Amino acid sequence: SAIASAQNRNAILVSHRQRGNPLLKHIRNVRWAFADVVCDYLLGQSTCALYISLRYHLLHPDYLYYRIRELQKNFKLRVVLCHVDVEDVVKPLLEVTRTAMLHDCTLLCGWSLEECGRYLETIKVYENKPADSIREQMDTDYLSRLTHALTTVRHVNKTDVVTLGSAFGSLSHIMDASMEDLARCPGIGERKVKRLYDTFHEPFKRVS
Amino acid sequence: MLPFQEQIISDLLEDPNGGLVVLSSGLSLPSLVASVLLLHHPSQGSLLILSASDSQKSAIVRSLRRLHHADSTPNPNPNSDPPLPSDIPGDLPSHHRTAIYSSGAALFVTPRILIADLLNSRVPPSAVAGLLVLNAHRLSDTSTEAFIARVFRSLSRSAPVRAFSDRPHAMVAGFAKAERILKCLFIRRLHLWPRFHVQVSADLEHNPPKVIDVRVPMTPAMKGIQTAVLEAMDACLKELRRTNKVDVEDLTVEKGLFKSFDEIVRRQLDPIWHTIGKKTKQLVSDLKTLRKLLDYLVRYDAVTYLKYLDTLRVSEGVRSVWIFADSSHKIFELAKKRVYQVVRADGLKISADGKSAPGKKRKANDDHKREKQRESGAALSNETDGGRVESNVGVVLDEVLEEAPKWKVLRELLEEIEEERRKETQSREGQLIVEDGRDNNNFVLVACKDERSCLQLEDCIFKGPNQVLREEWEKYLLGKAQLQGLRKRNRNRSQEPKGFGLLDGVVASGSSESTEPSSISKLENDALLAAASEISNLVKEVIDVGNDSRPQTRRKGSGKGRGKGKPNKVVAKVQVSGKKSEKPVENKIVDNASLEKGEQQGETDSVMKTQGETGAESLQGFQEVALKSSSDGKGVPRRQRQESATAEFTDAKPLPPVQFYALDSDQHILEVWKPSVIIVYHPDMTFVREIEIYKADNQSKNLKVYFLFYEDSTEVQKFDASIRRENAAFESLIRQKSLMMIPVDQDGRCIGPNASNEPQSAISQNSVTRKAGGIKPKEKEMQVIVDMREFMSSLPNVLHQKGMQIIPVTLEVGDYVLSPLICVERKSISDLFQSFASGRLYHQVETMVRYYRIPVLLIEFSQDKSFSLQSASEIGDDVSPTSIISKLSLLVLHFPRLRLVWSRSVHATAEIFASLKANQDEPDESKAIRVGVPSEDGIVEDDVRAENYNTSAVEFLRRLPGVTDSNYRALMDGCRNLAELALLPVERLAELMGSQKAARMLKEFLDAKCPTML
Repeated sequence: SAIASAQNRNAILVSHRQRGNPLLKHIRNVRWAFADVVCDYLLGQSTCALYISLRYHLLHPDYLYYRIRELQKNFKLRVVLCHVDVEDVVKPLLEVTRTAMLHDCTLLCGWSLEECGRYLETIKVYENKPADSIREQMDTDYLSRLTHALTTVRHVNKTDVVTLGSAFGSLSHIMDASMEDLARCPGIGERKVKRLYDTFHEPFKRVS
Repeated sequence: MLPFQEQIISDLLEDPNGGLVVLSSGLSLPSLVASVLLLHHPSQGSLLILSASDSQKSAIVRSLRRLHHADSTPNPNPNSDPPLPSDIPGDLPSHHRTAIYSSGAALFVTPRILIADLLNSRVPPSAVAGLLVLNAHRLSDTSTEAFIARVFRSLSRSAPVRAFSDRPHAMVAGFAKAERILKCLFIRRLHLWPRFHVQVSADLEHNPPKVIDVRVPMTPAMKGIQTAVLEAMDACLKELRRTNKVDVEDLTVEKGLFKSFDEIVRRQLDPIWHTIGKKTKQLVSDLKTLRKLLDYLVRYDAVTYLKYLDTLRVSEGVRSVWIFADSSHKIFELAKKRVYQVVRADGLKISADGKSAPGKKRKANDDHKREKQRESGAALSNETDGGRVESNVGVVLDEVLEEAPKWKVLRELLEEIEEERRKETQSREGQLIVEDGRDNNNFVLVACKDERSCLQLEDCIFKGPNQVLREEWEKYLLGKAQLQGLRKRNRNRSQEPKGFGLLDGVVASGSSESTEPSSISKLENDALLAAASEISNLVKEVIDVGNDSRPQTRRKGSGKGRGKGKPNKVVAKVQVSGKKSEKPVENKIVDNASLEKGEQQGETDSVMKTQGETGAESLQGFQEVALKSSSDGKGVPRRQRQESATAEFTDAKPLPPVQFYALDSDQHILEVWKPSVIIVYHPDMTFVREIEIYKADNQSKNLKVYFLFYEDSTEVQKFDASIRRENAAFESLIRQKSLMMIPVDQDGRCIGPNASNEPQSAISQNSVTRKAGGIKPKEKEMQVIVDMREFMSSLPNVLHQKGMQIIPVTLEVGDYVLSPLICVERKSISDLFQSFASGRLYHQVETMVRYYRIPVLLIEFSQDKSFSLQSASEIGDDVSPTSIISKLSLLVLHFPRLRLVWSRSVHATAEIFASLKANQDEPDESKAIRVGVPSEDGIVEDDVRAENYNTSAVEFLRRLPGVTDSNYRALMDGCRNLAELALLPVERLAELMGSQKAARMLKEFLDAKCPTML
């Protein structure tokens, strides 16, 4: 049973209640097994998920509340995975949102069973992943850095970045260019010229 | 003022509630606004002008001055200014703003500031005499202006709201748009003033200017490109139709010529954007690119056009559909041919086979060329050393440098005008010398689309077209050479054949080039580089010698270093083309064609300038002032050259003084400069109307207008279509006006959209049924604290519609504070993706979690777009780190306390907010402001951040390498602006940033040579 529990640690444990849910067909990247768990899906030591489809919610408005109450305070992250499968979403979604929020659950919405399945997989796979990929970071090559910086100016696009780069040779020359020189670049119209120029020449702080 | 303009004003002022004026573009909207301002008196209270653009503001001020002076002939002090409207600066402390609002003056205000001040009751309701809303076509019932109008109406029931728009086609861009705009501004009257209105056309056609329509034929290559682009557009459209996703009727090539076409397509596709494939999306953006190509074809010279195409190929080569179409191959070929051809050293053209073989067979073609080249190399090997010939001398560039046909015509026109003038003065010599006043405005005004064309045309006239093209061409080649040098350095492998030492080692040997991903064949590229390096050598020499700047003379001396064929060739070619340009052009000149339709007859020989001369002197003084004020700094296109400047251009006939004007700059200069001859280089409907008005305002003036059209071009088509489109828009507006249903309350005021049919939330519905008789209990108003920056979005407006009290403040953490516990960060879908990518979202959530019990991330979808994050096809088979699902999962895993709210639309968000607030305390304003404010910053002023900071510069700075959250503030303290930052030495940077490494990183990035990849 030690082997089994080790395996279970790497698998999503699915409640027997979920038997027959077509969602299970879409969990392919992670192993899963039925087990006796309070929640619908046990995704980690302190992470669990409840599944609800909006259609079901419309038929049984109290279901979600009772399920959440069952969970008690055993989990750090409690996900309510909501399958949006009705056309008129505003009212049912409002109710689900409210219930989840009042009872400390995080609401995730999927628009297809595939998408819902993917959320379960991802949360399991990323259980111990650092947040690097959503923190601030840089592409390292020169052009994408230059693009990243120059496109802060409104309406400047990638083509303009290449144009500016080839016209002036370096970023410091672009930053120092006169309005006339900027206007000489093909594709850079009056407004872009002004925006660029203002960005570079207006003081950072307008009030001293 | 013309009679019809006076009529517009009196119609508008008649209704005490105000009204909406829609008029044809170019019918001098600024002077209408100015005359409304003139009629305003400070005792009535202040007049607030909303949403005026910068150019509109200056135009209004200018026409205000002009009208004032025209009015006040008995005025003892004619140079005094009328009370001019002023801006409300955003950095002004709030209590000062209150004083300004109650000063009774006319004021330009941005909606964001005004709504915040209204909500904070910094605007005394009795002090405001009315609102003027410009650009009314941009309004909708969720826009800030509508919000302002609602709050304003609730404060003062009597003051009028007057709105203006001169974009009729934008007024019909949605279902019953005009009606909805009227309702959201609480006004009833719609005034339509199309150009074809009886009174307008009577006024304008009473004494029309003399119009000469010049049709210039395009060169065969230009025609070829135009057909090819149109073909490509047509192909893209057909492809788009095949997707069955869009309404076919709207999709015609003619509509494709306008910017608004994108809007039409996007509006149709937006709701299903997630379901359509990559290819369709690409098609939509391709159409945009193609439209630009058409536009630039008639605007840019041959070399610049080629350069732009090269840039395009780099920036979107791989993705585009059209770039691989057959017709686009033709575009590139022809564009190249307008600039240069590749010729074998012995004079035979080899580019001929480049034409016969389409792009797909390029490889085979290359082999073929290489063979030829080997032959030629063998033939020439006697005179030069073996291997080199093969790659360099085998092929030589033959410069074509086709000049734009309009250039020549423009010059001829100018010569003709001058000649006529001389004759006229000669014939008048005997008569009395009367017309002194004429001299100061006898220049010719040339109107082109943009500043760039102005500069270039000016050069063309004063230096000659050859010279201009040659300079562009040299720049183009230099760009190539630099790039080449750069690549070389980057590679830095010693595969460069030694001992040849040719051309400063800049030209790469053939073998090192073979990896280059370019559609220019290798040979051609080599030839280009050879020419480039020659020029870069020239430049070096010039710097060494430091002598003057005639390229032709320089050229000879430098030819020594390289193969013999080329330099001679270049010179010869130049001479030939120089000769060519002296031949007369065959262009049809249609005399007396009309401006718009054809109802123009006979020119007026009223040379006498009798009246109006009385106040000439004062007028003139004023004119100078106006010019000075308009030309301070900001690149106002005002340059006047005297004939002496033309001396450089040999054997030139005398030219009249010329001024250039860029239509894009929106300066409305006609009344200021008062030209008597106008050449419209790039036809534009709005400018035509401005000319008409100018002529009608100056009846006595003998005005002559030349139009330069490319014959059979899209330029003409576009011009005609723009008139048709505007007329159609007006017809539709007239129809709408006759059917409009606008509810009116007892005071004769319109009832807004939200008063009756507001959808009630679930909760309030319940409470209504529980309480007997539906009597609304006197509830305490719900409060929401909103960050100043959020007034760009429409959510505050909708929350207010739902009856919540909005408290605008500057928040350091979050966008909305609903209660002491709940703080909300709102993200629209595009924001969500963007701020995930930039990492900003992580940071924002991090601080929110730190300071609030219930941090909420609100993901708000847009009502008219699809309700889902991605299409089913985008989900893929594996867990991929770039997917939005992965990012959200990661966020949720790292912040288990973060609550997510998914909202279908702004209105749904408002309901969710109401429901979340139901059992919570009201938020504390002063506490919310203090949250998350770093203590070293001291107290944050209760003010709009964007007005205090150059936000795009700050954002720009923060994205530079080496700059971090911890050091960017120090950098901003250490220098004034980015331009200054670029010049700081690395030591100073290290001092400011507190790190050698970061400083070096930043400096290196700033000064790095840009690898352009052309």
